[in-house]
Amino acid sequence: MIFQAVPARYRVASRAAETHDTVTLGLEPVDQPIAPHRPGQFAMLYAFGSGEVPISISGEPGGSGLVYTIRSVGAVTQALCEAGPGELIGVRGPYGTDWGVTDAAGQDLVVVAGGIGLAPLRPALLAALAARERYRRVTVLIGTRTPDDLVFADELDIWRGQGADVRVTVDRATVGWRGHVGVVTQLIDRLDVDPAATLALVCGPEVMMRLTARSLLARGVAADGIRVSLERNMRCGIAECGHCQLGPLLLCRDGPVVSYERAAPLLSVKEL
Amino acid sequence: MTVAAPALADHAFLRGMRADDVARLAGAAVAVSMPAGHRLFDEGAPAEKCWLLASGHVALDLHMPGRANLIVETLAGGDVIGFSWLAPPHEWQFGAEVVEPAEAFELDGATVMALCDRHPELGYQLTLRMLGAAVQRLQATRVRLLDLYAPPGGAGA
Repeated sequence: MIFQAVPARYRVASRAAETHDTVTLGLEPVDQPIAPHRPGQFAMLYAFGSGEVPISISGEPGGSGLVYTIRSVGAVTQALCEAGPGELIGVRGPYGTDWGVTDAAGQDLVVVAGGIGLAPLRPALLAALAARERYRRVTVLIGTRTPDDLVFADELDIWRGQGADVRVTVDRATVGWRGHVGVVTQLIDRLDVDPAATLALVCGPEVMMRLTARSLLARGVAADGIRVSLERNMRCGIAECGHCQLGPLLLCRDGPVVSYERAAPLLSVKEL
Repeated sequence: MTVAAPALADHAFLRGMRADDVARLAGAAVAVSMPAGHRLFDEGAPAEKCWLLASGHVALDLHMPGRANLIVETLAGGDVIGFSWLAPPHEWQFGAEVVEPAEAFELDGATVMALCDRHPELGYQLTLRMLGAAVQRLQATRVRLLDLYAPPGGAGA
Protein backbone atom coordinates (compact mmCIF):
# COMPACT_ATOMS: atom_id res chain seq x y z
CA MET A 1 0.00 0.00 0.00
CA ILE A 2 1.32 3.42 -0.89
CA PHE A 3 1.10 5.97 1.89
CA GLN A 4 -0.84 8.89 0.61
CA ALA A 5 1.07 11.53 2.53
CA VAL A 6 -0.21 14.46 0.55
CA PRO A 7 -3.89 15.22 0.88
CA ALA A 8 -5.94 15.42 -2.29
CA ARG A 9 -7.57 18.79 -2.68
CA TYR A 10 -11.34 18.90 -2.59
CA ARG A 11 -13.59 21.88 -2.97
CA VAL A 12 -16.60 22.41 -0.74
CA ALA A 13 -19.60 22.08 -3.03
CA SER A 14 -22.33 22.21 -0.42
CA ARG A 15 -22.72 22.99 3.25
CA ALA A 16 -25.83 22.10 5.24
CA ALA A 17 -26.27 22.87 8.92
CA GLU A 18 -27.54 19.76 10.71
CA THR A 19 -27.68 21.27 14.22
CA HIS A 20 -26.26 24.30 15.99
CA ASP A 21 -22.78 22.70 16.05
CA THR A 22 -22.83 20.13 13.25
CA VAL A 23 -22.66 20.56 9.49
CA THR A 24 -22.63 18.23 6.51
CA LEU A 25 -20.17 19.12 3.79
CA GLY A 26 -20.34 17.88 0.24
CA LEU A 27 -16.90 17.86 -1.41
CA GLU A 28 -15.88 17.61 -5.07
CA PRO A 29 -12.34 16.70 -6.15
CA VAL A 30 -9.97 19.30 -7.52
CA ASP A 31 -7.16 16.77 -8.05
CA GLN A 32 -7.32 13.02 -8.61
CA PRO A 33 -10.06 11.81 -6.23
CA ILE A 34 -9.23 9.47 -3.38
CA ALA A 35 -10.06 5.79 -3.77
CA PRO A 36 -13.73 4.75 -3.36
CA HIS A 37 -14.74 4.20 0.25
CA ARG A 38 -16.80 1.54 1.97
CA PRO A 39 -19.47 2.38 4.58
CA GLY A 40 -17.84 2.87 7.98
CA GLN A 41 -14.44 3.97 6.75
CA PHE A 42 -12.95 7.35 7.58
CA ALA A 43 -10.65 9.89 5.99
CA MET A 44 -8.27 12.48 7.34
CA LEU A 45 -9.62 15.92 6.58
CA TYR A 46 -7.16 18.77 6.45
CA ALA A 47 -8.34 22.28 7.25
CA PHE A 48 -5.46 24.22 5.75
CA GLY A 49 -3.80 26.35 8.37
CA SER A 50 -5.54 24.54 11.24
CA GLY A 51 -4.71 20.87 11.09
CA GLU A 52 -5.97 17.41 10.28
CA VAL A 53 -8.70 15.28 11.89
CA PRO A 54 -10.22 11.86 11.23
CA ILE A 55 -13.83 12.08 10.06
CA SER A 56 -16.05 9.18 9.08
CA ILE A 57 -17.60 9.33 5.67
CA SER A 58 -21.34 9.96 5.93
CA GLY A 59 -22.26 9.82 2.24
CA GLU A 60 -23.09 6.96 -0.07
CA PRO A 61 -20.25 5.04 -1.68
CA GLY A 62 -19.77 5.68 -5.38
CA GLY A 63 -19.13 8.77 -7.42
CA SER A 64 -16.23 11.13 -7.07
CA GLY A 65 -17.84 13.41 -4.49
CA LEU A 66 -17.58 12.91 -0.75
CA VAL A 67 -19.89 13.74 2.14
CA TYR A 68 -18.76 14.34 5.71
CA THR A 69 -20.77 15.30 8.76
CA ILE A 70 -18.66 17.21 11.24
CA ARG A 71 -19.30 18.44 14.75
CA SER A 72 -17.45 21.49 15.90
CA VAL A 73 -15.60 20.41 19.02
CA GLY A 74 -12.19 22.05 18.59
CA ALA A 75 -10.05 24.28 16.41
CA VAL A 76 -9.79 22.01 13.37
CA THR A 77 -13.37 20.80 13.35
CA GLN A 78 -14.51 24.38 13.84
CA ALA A 79 -12.50 25.44 10.79
CA LEU A 80 -14.05 22.58 8.78
CA CYS A 81 -17.53 23.45 9.97
CA GLU A 82 -17.04 27.04 8.94
CA ALA A 83 -15.77 26.13 5.45
CA GLY A 84 -18.14 27.49 2.85
CA PRO A 85 -18.79 26.57 -0.78
CA GLY A 86 -15.69 27.03 -2.91
CA GLU A 87 -13.19 26.62 -0.09
CA LEU A 88 -10.50 23.95 -0.31
CA ILE A 89 -10.10 21.02 2.09
CA GLY A 90 -7.44 18.33 2.01
CA VAL A 91 -8.52 14.68 2.10
CA ARG A 92 -6.45 11.56 2.78
CA GLY A 93 -7.97 8.11 2.81
CA PRO A 94 -10.20 6.24 2.91
CA TYR A 95 -8.88 4.27 5.86
CA GLY A 96 -9.92 1.47 8.14
CA THR A 97 -12.46 -1.29 8.27
CA ASP A 98 -16.07 -1.08 7.15
CA TRP A 99 -19.43 -2.12 8.63
CA GLY A 100 -19.75 -5.17 6.40
CA VAL A 101 -23.45 -4.50 6.17
CA THR A 102 -23.99 -7.14 3.47
CA ASP A 103 -23.23 -9.77 6.12
CA ALA A 104 -26.76 -9.06 7.35
CA ALA A 105 -28.31 -10.27 4.08
CA GLY A 106 -31.18 -12.59 4.93
CA GLN A 107 -31.10 -11.43 8.55
CA ASP A 108 -32.46 -8.62 10.69
CA LEU A 109 -30.34 -5.48 10.60
CA VAL A 110 -30.33 -3.20 13.62
CA VAL A 111 -28.60 0.16 13.41
CA VAL A 112 -28.12 1.92 16.75
CA ALA A 113 -26.84 5.47 16.73
CA GLY A 114 -26.02 7.85 19.53
CA GLY A 115 -25.79 11.54 18.67
CA ILE A 116 -23.53 12.22 15.72
CA GLY A 117 -22.81 8.47 15.64
CA LEU A 118 -25.55 8.34 13.04
CA ALA A 119 -23.17 9.91 10.51
CA PRO A 120 -20.78 6.92 10.12
CA LEU A 121 -23.78 4.58 10.06
CA ARG A 122 -25.63 6.47 7.35
CA PRO A 123 -23.68 4.97 4.40
CA ALA A 124 -24.35 1.44 5.71
CA LEU A 125 -28.03 2.20 6.15
CA LEU A 126 -28.31 3.75 2.69
CA ALA A 127 -26.60 0.69 1.21
CA ALA A 128 -29.05 -1.62 3.00
CA LEU A 129 -32.06 0.42 1.92
CA ALA A 130 -30.82 0.46 -1.67
CA ALA A 131 -31.05 -3.34 -1.57
CA ARG A 132 -33.91 -3.53 0.92
CA GLU A 133 -35.18 -6.89 -0.39
CA ARG A 134 -31.96 -8.59 0.72
CA TYR A 135 -32.65 -7.94 4.40
CA ARG A 136 -35.44 -8.91 6.77
CA ARG A 137 -36.34 -6.26 9.33
CA VAL A 138 -34.25 -3.09 9.12
CA THR A 139 -34.49 -1.12 12.35
CA VAL A 140 -32.82 2.18 13.12
CA LEU A 141 -32.68 3.31 16.74
CA ILE A 142 -31.41 6.81 17.35
CA GLY A 143 -30.62 8.35 20.71
CA THR A 144 -29.87 12.02 20.92
CA ARG A 145 -29.51 14.70 23.53
CA THR A 146 -32.51 16.83 22.57
CA PRO A 147 -34.77 16.98 19.51
CA ASP A 148 -32.70 19.91 18.25
CA ASP A 149 -29.54 17.75 18.23
CA LEU A 150 -30.91 15.19 15.80
CA VAL A 151 -28.83 14.92 12.63
CA PHE A 152 -30.32 13.95 9.24
CA ALA A 153 -33.72 14.82 10.70
CA ASP A 154 -35.22 15.45 7.28
CA GLU A 155 -34.20 11.99 6.04
CA LEU A 156 -35.93 9.88 8.67
CA ASP A 157 -39.27 9.77 6.89
CA ILE A 158 -37.51 8.91 3.64
CA TRP A 159 -35.84 5.93 5.35
CA ARG A 160 -39.21 4.90 6.77
CA GLY A 161 -40.66 5.08 3.27
CA GLN A 162 -37.88 2.80 2.07
CA GLY A 163 -38.79 0.14 4.59
CA ALA A 164 -36.86 0.95 7.74
CA ASP A 165 -38.43 1.07 11.19
CA VAL A 166 -36.88 4.29 12.49
CA ARG A 167 -37.28 5.21 16.15
CA VAL A 168 -35.85 8.24 17.88
CA THR A 169 -35.49 8.85 21.58
CA VAL A 170 -34.13 11.91 23.31
CA ASP A 171 -32.49 12.32 26.69
CA ARG A 172 -34.26 15.61 27.26
CA ALA A 173 -37.49 16.62 25.64
CA THR A 174 -38.17 20.15 24.57
CA VAL A 175 -41.61 21.69 24.65
CA GLY A 176 -43.65 20.28 21.79
CA TRP A 177 -41.70 17.02 21.46
CA ARG A 178 -44.14 14.08 21.32
CA GLY A 179 -41.70 11.27 20.62
CA HIS A 180 -39.85 8.89 22.90
CA VAL A 181 -37.95 10.22 25.91
CA GLY A 182 -35.37 7.92 27.47
CA VAL A 183 -32.09 6.20 26.72
CA VAL A 184 -31.61 4.33 23.47
CA THR A 185 -31.13 1.02 25.28
CA GLN A 186 -34.79 1.15 26.31
CA LEU A 187 -35.71 0.97 22.63
CA ILE A 188 -33.65 -2.21 22.35
CA ASP A 189 -35.68 -3.78 25.15
CA ARG A 190 -38.80 -3.24 23.02
CA LEU A 191 -37.22 -4.39 19.77
CA ASP A 192 -38.81 -7.04 17.59
CA VAL A 193 -35.88 -9.04 16.20
CA ASP A 194 -34.71 -12.59 15.80
CA PRO A 195 -31.59 -12.43 17.98
CA ALA A 196 -30.11 -15.55 16.43
CA ALA A 197 -30.17 -13.89 13.00
CA THR A 198 -29.39 -10.26 13.73
CA LEU A 199 -26.48 -8.03 12.82
CA ALA A 200 -26.31 -4.88 14.94
CA LEU A 201 -24.20 -1.87 13.96
CA VAL A 202 -23.59 0.54 16.81
CA CYS A 203 -21.95 3.94 16.82
CA GLY A 204 -21.92 6.66 19.44
CA PRO A 205 -20.08 7.63 22.61
CA GLU A 206 -18.14 4.64 23.93
CA VAL A 207 -20.24 4.34 27.10
CA MET A 208 -23.40 4.34 25.00
CA MET A 209 -21.97 1.60 22.75
CA ARG A 210 -21.03 -0.52 25.77
CA LEU A 211 -24.50 -0.17 27.30
CA THR A 212 -26.13 -0.82 23.93
CA ALA A 213 -24.05 -3.95 23.39
CA ARG A 214 -25.00 -5.12 26.87
CA SER A 215 -28.69 -4.69 26.05
CA LEU A 216 -28.28 -6.48 22.72
CA LEU A 217 -26.47 -9.36 24.44
CA ALA A 218 -29.30 -9.53 26.99
CA ARG A 219 -31.72 -9.86 24.08
CA GLY A 220 -29.71 -12.84 22.85
CA VAL A 221 -27.75 -11.21 20.03
CA ALA A 222 -24.31 -12.84 19.85
CA ALA A 223 -21.22 -10.73 20.51
CA ASP A 224 -19.95 -11.46 17.00
CA GLY A 225 -23.27 -10.15 15.66
CA ILE A 226 -22.58 -6.73 17.17
CA ARG A 227 -20.17 -4.29 15.54
CA VAL A 228 -19.05 -1.03 17.09
CA SER A 229 -17.10 1.91 15.70
CA LEU A 230 -14.22 2.80 17.96
CA GLU A 231 -12.26 5.98 17.98
CA ARG A 232 -8.85 6.84 19.36
CA ASN A 233 -6.39 9.45 18.27
CA MET A 234 -6.04 8.61 14.58
CA ARG A 235 -3.12 10.41 12.99
CA CYS A 236 -1.30 8.63 10.14
CA GLY A 237 -4.18 6.44 8.96
CA ILE A 238 -1.86 3.59 7.94
CA ALA A 239 -0.95 1.97 11.26
CA GLU A 240 2.53 3.48 11.43
CA CYS A 241 2.45 6.11 14.15
CA GLY A 242 0.71 4.15 16.92
CA HIS A 243 -1.40 7.04 18.20
CA CYS A 244 -4.63 5.09 17.77
CA GLN A 245 -3.50 1.96 19.58
CA LEU A 246 -6.13 0.10 21.60
CA GLY A 247 -4.38 -2.92 23.08
CA PRO A 248 -3.34 -5.10 20.13
CA LEU A 249 -5.36 -3.00 17.68
CA LEU A 250 -4.31 -0.01 15.68
CA LEU A 251 -7.73 1.44 15.06
CA CYS A 252 -6.89 3.32 11.89
CA ARG A 253 -6.17 -0.08 10.29
CA ASP A 254 -7.95 -2.67 12.48
CA GLY A 255 -10.90 -0.34 13.15
CA PRO A 256 -12.80 1.84 13.37
CA VAL A 257 -15.39 -0.93 12.94
CA VAL A 258 -14.64 -3.81 15.29
CA SER A 259 -16.67 -6.82 16.32
CA TYR A 260 -17.90 -6.45 19.87
CA GLU A 261 -16.53 -9.90 20.56
CA ARG A 262 -13.09 -8.43 19.96
CA ALA A 263 -13.76 -5.02 21.43
CA ALA A 264 -15.44 -5.97 24.70
CA PRO A 265 -12.34 -7.20 26.56
CA LEU A 266 -10.42 -4.10 25.46
CA LEU A 267 -13.12 -1.65 26.47
CA SER A 268 -13.14 -3.02 30.00
CA VAL A 269 -9.45 -2.17 30.55
CA LYS A 270 -9.27 1.24 32.19
CA GLU A 271 -5.72 1.90 31.04
CA LEU A 272 -6.73 1.55 27.39
CA MET B 1 -63.92 -4.77 30.81
CA THR B 2 -62.96 -7.66 33.09
CA VAL B 3 -59.67 -9.38 32.50
CA ALA B 4 -59.05 -13.05 31.73
CA ALA B 5 -56.14 -14.40 33.75
CA PRO B 6 -54.30 -15.83 30.69
CA ALA B 7 -54.29 -12.38 29.05
CA LEU B 8 -52.84 -10.84 32.18
CA ALA B 9 -50.30 -13.66 32.57
CA ASP B 10 -48.99 -12.86 29.10
CA HIS B 11 -47.96 -9.34 30.08
CA ALA B 12 -44.17 -9.01 30.35
CA PHE B 13 -44.44 -7.61 33.87
CA LEU B 14 -46.19 -10.70 35.21
CA ARG B 15 -44.56 -13.37 33.09
CA GLY B 16 -43.59 -16.37 35.22
CA MET B 17 -45.96 -15.56 38.08
CA ARG B 18 -47.96 -18.47 39.52
CA ALA B 19 -51.32 -18.95 37.81
CA ASP B 20 -53.35 -18.68 41.02
CA ASP B 21 -51.68 -15.35 41.87
CA VAL B 22 -52.32 -14.02 38.38
CA ALA B 23 -55.96 -15.10 38.72
CA ARG B 24 -56.20 -13.12 41.97
CA LEU B 25 -54.77 -10.03 40.27
CA ALA B 26 -57.14 -10.48 37.34
CA GLY B 27 -59.98 -9.95 39.78
CA ALA B 28 -58.55 -6.51 40.61
CA ALA B 29 -57.89 -5.54 36.99
CA VAL B 30 -59.88 -4.08 34.16
CA ALA B 31 -58.80 -3.86 30.53
CA VAL B 32 -58.85 -0.31 29.26
CA SER B 33 -58.42 1.27 25.83
CA MET B 34 -57.22 4.84 25.88
CA PRO B 35 -57.14 7.25 22.96
CA ALA B 36 -54.29 9.64 22.27
CA GLY B 37 -54.59 12.65 24.52
CA HIS B 38 -56.25 10.76 27.36
CA ARG B 39 -54.74 11.72 30.72
CA LEU B 40 -54.22 8.86 33.12
CA PHE B 41 -53.39 11.12 36.03
CA ASP B 42 -52.14 14.56 36.97
CA GLU B 43 -49.38 15.71 39.26
CA GLY B 44 -50.59 16.09 42.86
CA ALA B 45 -53.70 13.93 42.51
CA PRO B 46 -54.23 10.89 44.77
CA ALA B 47 -52.33 7.87 43.42
CA GLU B 48 -54.72 4.95 43.61
CA LYS B 49 -54.03 2.86 40.53
CA CYS B 50 -51.35 1.45 38.31
CA TRP B 51 -51.39 0.22 34.73
CA LEU B 52 -49.68 -2.58 32.89
CA LEU B 53 -49.28 -1.14 29.44
CA ALA B 54 -49.90 -3.72 26.72
CA SER B 55 -49.49 -1.49 23.68
CA GLY B 56 -49.30 2.16 22.75
CA HIS B 57 -47.17 4.92 24.09
CA VAL B 58 -47.63 6.96 27.27
CA ALA B 59 -45.68 10.05 28.31
CA LEU B 60 -44.88 11.00 31.89
CA ASP B 61 -44.90 14.76 32.08
CA LEU B 62 -44.48 17.71 34.32
CA HIS B 63 -46.54 20.87 34.34
CA MET B 64 -44.53 23.92 33.34
CA PRO B 65 -46.15 27.20 34.36
CA GLY B 66 -47.12 29.19 31.32
CA ARG B 67 -45.84 26.51 28.93
CA ALA B 68 -46.89 23.16 27.53
CA ASN B 69 -46.19 20.15 29.72
CA LEU B 70 -42.63 18.84 29.47
CA ILE B 71 -42.25 15.11 28.83
CA VAL B 72 -39.90 13.46 31.32
CA GLU B 73 -40.01 9.89 30.04
CA THR B 74 -42.08 7.75 27.71
CA LEU B 75 -43.35 4.25 28.33
CA ALA B 76 -44.45 1.55 25.91
CA GLY B 77 -45.99 -1.91 25.79
CA GLY B 78 -44.59 -4.17 28.51
CA ASP B 79 -43.98 -1.30 30.91
CA VAL B 80 -45.70 -0.64 34.24
CA ILE B 81 -47.09 2.83 34.82
CA GLY B 82 -47.37 4.17 38.32
CA PHE B 83 -45.26 3.65 41.43
CA SER B 84 -46.69 6.41 43.62
CA TRP B 85 -49.68 4.34 44.81
CA LEU B 86 -47.18 2.13 46.66
CA ALA B 87 -45.56 4.71 48.92
CA PRO B 88 -46.53 7.78 50.94
CA PRO B 89 -47.73 10.42 50.26
CA HIS B 90 -49.65 8.36 47.65
CA GLU B 91 -49.79 11.30 45.29
CA TRP B 92 -48.71 11.37 41.66
CA GLN B 93 -45.39 13.17 41.33
CA PHE B 94 -45.78 13.53 37.57
CA GLY B 95 -48.65 13.44 35.11
CA ALA B 96 -49.24 10.83 32.43
CA GLU B 97 -50.84 11.20 29.01
CA VAL B 98 -51.44 8.77 26.18
CA VAL B 99 -49.39 9.76 23.14
CA GLU B 100 -50.34 6.83 20.90
CA PRO B 101 -53.60 4.89 21.47
CA ALA B 102 -52.94 2.46 24.28
CA GLU B 103 -54.29 -0.80 25.65
CA ALA B 104 -53.60 -1.53 29.30
CA PHE B 105 -54.61 -3.49 32.36
CA GLU B 106 -55.69 -1.09 35.07
CA LEU B 107 -55.15 -2.31 38.62
CA ASP B 108 -56.84 -0.83 41.67
CA GLY B 109 -54.14 -0.12 44.25
CA ALA B 110 -56.20 -0.71 47.41
CA THR B 111 -57.51 -4.03 46.10
CA VAL B 112 -54.02 -5.16 45.10
CA MET B 113 -52.66 -4.16 48.54
CA ALA B 114 -55.39 -6.17 50.24
CA LEU B 115 -54.60 -9.16 48.04
CA CYS B 116 -50.92 -8.89 48.93
CA ASP B 117 -51.77 -8.78 52.65
CA ARG B 118 -53.80 -11.97 52.32
CA HIS B 119 -51.34 -13.73 49.98
CA PRO B 120 -47.74 -12.93 50.94
CA GLU B 121 -46.29 -14.90 48.01
CA LEU B 122 -48.22 -12.68 45.61
CA GLY B 123 -47.02 -9.64 47.54
CA TYR B 124 -43.42 -10.86 47.36
CA GLN B 125 -43.62 -11.50 43.62
CA LEU B 126 -45.24 -8.14 42.94
CA THR B 127 -42.64 -6.38 45.09
CA LEU B 128 -39.81 -8.04 43.16
CA ARG B 129 -41.32 -6.99 39.86
CA MET B 130 -42.01 -3.42 40.94
CA LEU B 131 -38.49 -3.18 42.31
CA GLY B 132 -37.07 -4.55 39.06
CA ALA B 133 -38.99 -1.96 37.05
CA ALA B 134 -37.89 0.80 39.42
CA VAL B 135 -34.25 -0.31 39.16
CA GLN B 136 -34.42 -0.25 35.36
CA ARG B 137 -35.87 3.28 35.44
CA LEU B 138 -33.26 4.41 37.94
CA GLN B 139 -30.40 3.03 35.84
CA ALA B 140 -31.79 4.60 32.67
CA THR B 141 -32.14 7.92 34.47
CA ARG B 142 -28.55 7.71 35.66
CA VAL B 143 -27.36 7.15 32.10
CA ARG B 144 -29.32 10.19 30.98
CA LEU B 145 -27.68 12.19 33.76
CA LEU B 146 -24.31 11.38 32.19
CA ASP B 147 -25.32 13.58 29.25
CA LEU B 148 -23.37 11.28 26.92
CA TYR B 149 -24.07 13.26 23.78
CA ALA B 150 -22.87 16.58 25.17
CA PRO B 151 -19.94 18.27 23.44
CA PRO B 152 -16.71 16.73 24.72
CA GLY B 153 -15.01 18.76 27.40
CA GLY B 154 -11.57 20.25 27.12
CA ALA B 155 -9.65 21.03 23.97
CA GLY B 156 -10.45 18.87 21.01
CA ALA B 157 -9.43 18.79 17.42
